[in-house]
Amino acid sequence: MLRYILKRLLHGLITVWFIATATFIAMHAVPGDPLSGEKAMTPEIRRNLEAKYGLDKPVVEQYRIFLVNMAKGDFGISYTQQNREVNDIIREGFPVSATLGILAVVFAALGGILLGALTATYRNRLPDVVIMFLVILGISVPSFVFAALGQLALVKINAWTGFTLFPVAGWGTVMHMVVPSLVLGLGTMAYLTRLMRSSMLEVTNTDYVRTARSKGLPPARIFLKHQLRNAILPVVTVLGPAIAAITTGGFVVELVFAIPGLGRYFVQAVQQLDYTVIMGTTVFYGAFLVLMVIVVDIVYGLIDPRVRLKA
Amino acid sequence: MSEREVVLEVADLKVEFDTYGGIVHAVRGVSFQVRQGETLAIVGESGCGKSVTLQSIMGLIPMPPGRITSGSAVYRGQDLIHNKYIDGRDIRGSAIGMVFQDPMTSLNPTMTIGDQIAETLQVHRGFSKSQALARAVELIAMVRIPDAAKRASQYPFEFSGGMLQRSMIAMSLACEPSILIADEPTTALDVTIQAQILDLLMDLQKEKGMAIVLITHDLGVVARMADDVMVMYAGEVVESGSIDDVFYRGAHPYTMGLRAAMPSRELGARQRLTPIDGSPPDLFSPPSGCGYFARCPQAMRMCQAQHPYLMSVGKAHHSRCWLQHPDSTRQVPGLSIPHLGAAAVQS
Ligand SMILES: Nc1ncnc2c1ncn2[C@@H]1O[C@H](COP(=O)(O)OP(=O)(O)O)[C@@H](O)[C@H]1O
Ligand code: SF4
Ligand SMILES: [Mg+2]
Repeated sequence: MLRYILKRLLHGLITVWFIATATFIAMHAVPGDPLSGEKAMTPEIRRNLEAKYGLDKPVVEQYRIFLVNMAKGDFGISYTQQNREVNDIIREGFPVSATLGILAVVFAALGGILLGALTATYRNRLPDVVIMFLVILGISVPSFVFAALGQLALVKINAWTGFTLFPVAGWGTVMHMVVPSLVLGLGTMAYLTRLMRSSMLEVTNTDYVRTARSKGLPPARIFLKHQLRNAILPVVTVLGPAIAAITTGGFVVELVFAIPGLGRYFVQAVQQLDYTVIMGTTVFYGAFLVLMVIVVDIVYGLIDPRVRLKA
Repeated sequence: MSEREVVLEVADLKVEFDTYGGIVHAVRGVSFQVRQGETLAIVGESGCGKSVTLQSIMGLIPMPPGRITSGSAVYRGQDLIHNKYIDGRDIRGSAIGMVFQDPMTSLNPTMTIGDQIAETLQVHRGFSKSQALARAVELIAMVRIPDAAKRASQYPFEFSGGMLQRSMIAMSLACEPSILIADEPTTALDVTIQAQILDLLMDLQKEKGMAIVLITHDLGVVARMADDVMVMYAGEVVESGSIDDVFYRGAHPYTMGLRAAMPSRELGARQRLTPIDGSPPDLFSPPSGCGYFARCPQAMRMCQAQHPYLMSVGKAHHSRCWLQHPDSTRQVPGLSIPHLGAAAVQS
């Protein structure tokens, strides 16, 4: 197991390096000088920045400096907000974004597994038909539509009942978190429900479940020990990409619900061509996603002995 | 020959499946008895309903599309078709154990072998987890897997096919059942492993005294293992009797055909194997006459119109063929081998 984890971590490191390099190349492929944005900049800042990033140096040298700084965990200073460190921005916004994202992922995964198992159990009967109709809806409607609709519904409900259980926007309490994370996780949950359903149906027809029945085990035990654990495997496999999907969706949901997460800064930075912020947040997000994928892989290894022991 | 107690009595079992093509009449009125400590072999071509017969008794056929339309399977005075519980305990895994054809897919890939054996004991015997695991190690040793303690904590993918089948046997015998159903237990294995598994089954039977219902399409396996034989064709029993009756005094033309298609040491290298031409009838609309009519070398005109019933051709020896009807004037030609000659017992 330890070897398996170490191998994953090494792969992860290489992936982050790729992301950093790609971001660097993309930044340098953009026409124009990073310091000649539309915002006026005092000569003082310009000199500081040029010195810090060696923008007058050859590209290869710049790349080396960029990597060294990155390895030290120094993402630099914002171009547009004087002397504000990118690290500060991440420290402020990331915990909010991560909370939102993790809640959404947990909601999507648990909901998907439960609903998938339920629809498989009631295959072709009413609960299955109703849920699968909603699933199609959930998969085809993008999350910003759910965000807008969810917010609108909240406004109506709050106005109608006369008190506010779930606030319409903002951040701070658990109540603030519920609706945005539900909205954010909905599409993924629909996708995972469909996956879990077909996986569960497949497992139900396997020889080993037939064996379990031939042993006279109680249905609950067959369900939990023989069906669920094996049926979850494909769901766990796609959890990595699912987390990525939720993270990117998070930018929009943060905007709609006025949540002070990293997404807002990122969108702002792109609008203002604030390159250090874009590069810093991109690489940081990339590293975070890679870490989550590694966590998912470890969980997969815990569930499936073939992966854990053969690695 | 055998006058031992009957432990399982199956009567007139009929099973159908709904499919897109129509209703498959997979089992069409099968009856048989299983006696304590003896081995009943069920033989027949693939698709003739052997597995469905035993799986419907064990409640393992998917319903829908499957459906048991008639019949009973009486164990200790109770019909198992409608109730699998005796004294509140599921007879499956406790009184009747089952081993399946493909050991590679028949064990749960994410559970250790030890746990899979132990859970039967926990459920049926009320063992604690540690008691059950300790017993599981003994059972693994019993089926001659070396290093049992270590093996118990391993997963199916770490086992070879032969060892997996041994583990299946250990699992099915954990609660000392009085009947073991083995559905083609060696078909998926190498020839050398096959022999080992069959030897193991025979030794365990001697030791534990359980009855074995052995499904196979291999007459070599039958010759080695069986006390009684039941030949199935197109969802029906076409011949049944002791191994000597069916092998050496075979009455039904289909049994003859199977026998001729089987390689045998006695026949020598020069003996030609004769496969049976044609294929079994469509089970969507089984023929109204004899199911074997289209392929039968002895077929008579009446065979197409009249459905033959099981006729007694000796003591506890039956054949579903008009040739054995008391009024029939024709003899079964059988095989042209001296001691296997056409000794059809005419009544
Ligand atoms: N789930 C099912 N749905 C439809 N037909 C089935 C199903 N299971 C078995 N059958 C049919 O029942 C017949 C008997 O099958 P089976 O008992 O498995 O044969 P075998 O003698 O090889 O064990 C076959 O014709 C098969 O197509
Ligand atoms: S009844 Fe007729 S067709 Fe059927 S096996 Fe006997 S002889 Fe052949
Ligand atoms: Mg079969």
